[in-house]
Amino acid sequence: MAKKLMKGCEAIGEAAIRAGCKLFFGYPITPQNEIPEYLSHRLPQVGGTFVQAESEVAASNMIYGAAGAGERVFTSSSSPGISLMQEAVSYLAGAELPAVLVNIMRAGPGLGGILPSQADYLQATKGGGHGDYNVIVLAPWSVQEAADLVADAFDLADYYRNPVYILGDGLIGQMMEPVEFREDRKPVREIPPKTWASTGWKGDRPRAVVNSLYLDADTLEKHNRDLQEKYHRIRRDEVRYQGYGLDQDYDVLLVAYGTVARVCLTAMEELRDQGIQVAILRPVTLFPFPYDALANAAAKAKAVLVVELSAGQMLQDVQLAVHGSRPVHFHGRTGGNLVTPEEAASKVREVLDGRSEEVRHA
Amino acid sequence: MFERRITIVAGHFGSGKTEIAVNGAIHQARDGLPVALIDIDVVKPYFRTREAREELAARGVELVAPDGENATADLPIVLPRVRALCRDGSRRVILDAGGDDTGARVLGSLADVLDDQDPDFLLVLNFRRPFTPDVPSALAMAREIESASRRRITGVVSNTHLMDETTREVLLDGLRLARQTAAKLGVEVRAMGVQEGSRSLLEPSETGCEILPLRRIVQPPVGTPRIRVPGSGPLFVLR
Repeated sequence: MAKKLMKGCEAIGEAAIRAGCKLFFGYPITPQNEIPEYLSHRLPQVGGTFVQAESEVAASNMIYGAAGAGERVFTSSSSPGISLMQEAVSYLAGAELPAVLVNIMRAGPGLGGILPSQADYLQATKGGGHGDYNVIVLAPWSVQEAADLVADAFDLADYYRNPVYILGDGLIGQMMEPVEFREDRKPVREIPPKTWASTGWKGDRPRAVVNSLYLDADTLEKHNRDLQEKYHRIRRDEVRYQGYGLDQDYDVLLVAYGTVARVCLTAMEELRDQGIQVAILRPVTLFPFPYDALANAAAKAKAVLVVELSAGQMLQDVQLAVHGSRPVHFHGRTGGNLVTPEEAASKVREVLDGRSEEVRHA
Repeated sequence: MFERRITIVAGHFGSGKTEIAVNGAIHQARDGLPVALIDIDVVKPYFRTREAREELAARGVELVAPDGENATADLPIVLPRVRALCRDGSRRVILDAGGDDTGARVLGSLADVLDDQDPDFLLVLNFRRPFTPDVPSALAMAREIESASRRRITGVVSNTHLMDETTREVLLDGLRLARQTAAKLGVEVRAMGVQEGSRSLLEPSETGCEILPLRRIVQPPVGTPRIRVPGSGPLFVLR
């Protein structure tokens, strides 16, 4: 297919359709309105169904129902709307239902503003809703990668019977870039038939019941053990990250995800011209987080600098990975302001000449 | 391409309307004309022309758009001054309408001040955008915009590109489809927008229409240079 010029939101919508998703339930919120807008046009063209629900709470429970019936289904929202969906995300995780949820993050807390942010990292990676559960979290840094990761998200959701987040900042949703949808794409995992789905009982198999309620303590504890075993497999098998300049010598290791990693890459080029060597590690999966890769990369550096559009959230995972072996520094912007390459480069210089203070407790 | 006092720029959302409007306004101001650029885009709150306010002021273009906190509010704001400027015969006006028929609907509400001014109504087309891949879809969109705005399109601006991945074929193929669409609408292709980086891809004589050089002025709200993604190709400009 010829390359198209698409907004991140449009590419996400198209990628979902190409992944075989025929159902979208959602509720509008800036800056991701182009996802429902796009799907409200496109889904009827491919025999799918688009529903604008009465609220995010309703939309997320429609997702639960459709996923329980074995359908590929997704929703999208932005930070405040994703907060409203957290109950259903916990239920999806508890009932082991596959679903894809896109969060195009805006600045918070509360209603905050409509400009880009990465301040939902902890909500996405550490739970968000109640109970012991984890959601796979994929963080694209370009429109093309957003489209590619949506396709992977549906495969991973089905394979693990688990919700998957696409976590993008406002820029990922709003910027336009050329994007290509490959016809020859292979699933990232071989997906077994959904024999567990509630599709109507005809007497030829045990009844399929979709449920997250276990009143007996031992039964619920066994369910939790099974879930934890699944999360362990996800941590073992699904870590994704990219490194830039990791095979060379460097003094500072930059850690950033999403569009911020692109800003850091520009900063890296500027610093290299000044004879300052840095490398970048970009987590693509935020859960599972690339702890080992980060620990190894940090071992080559004098210091680690985390850059985020938040007050310091991924910072906590970086500190866990580095485990005190290297000083960890932080640069973040909030409110919808972006980090500029100049800011990132200048922070690197401060780290090197001792003007930056190490973060001791995040 | 700016033949009349008032030019309305409309098109599918993401077709490059705003870029055409902004560059067109600067182009006219350079000729010493008093120009007002009016942002009535109620569809897209992120990259509205008001982000370019300072740069436009420096180039002699008055930007009429919500400012302050309202500049980043996702609210459908049309300033009262818009109607006054449409009536004011002393200056040139470029109206940047919002995307699709939804954005064009605002024009319908201005019909009483626009009708007796005989404005140009230009349709911007980028055939690499997902909802206008061919002539029939571009025509259908044109009819929706005409219906919502209660106004006939008077000319087409070819703006097919793939940002930094634009090739000569992309430009010429887009121009060909724009001509076919214009013919069906009974109008001409009035100009072709060409990004700075794509200027060398073709000779102006090959196009048979005016070329409007486009500089990226409308960009995300915060500053600085080009952000490159190695390997995957696409470039994104952060400002």
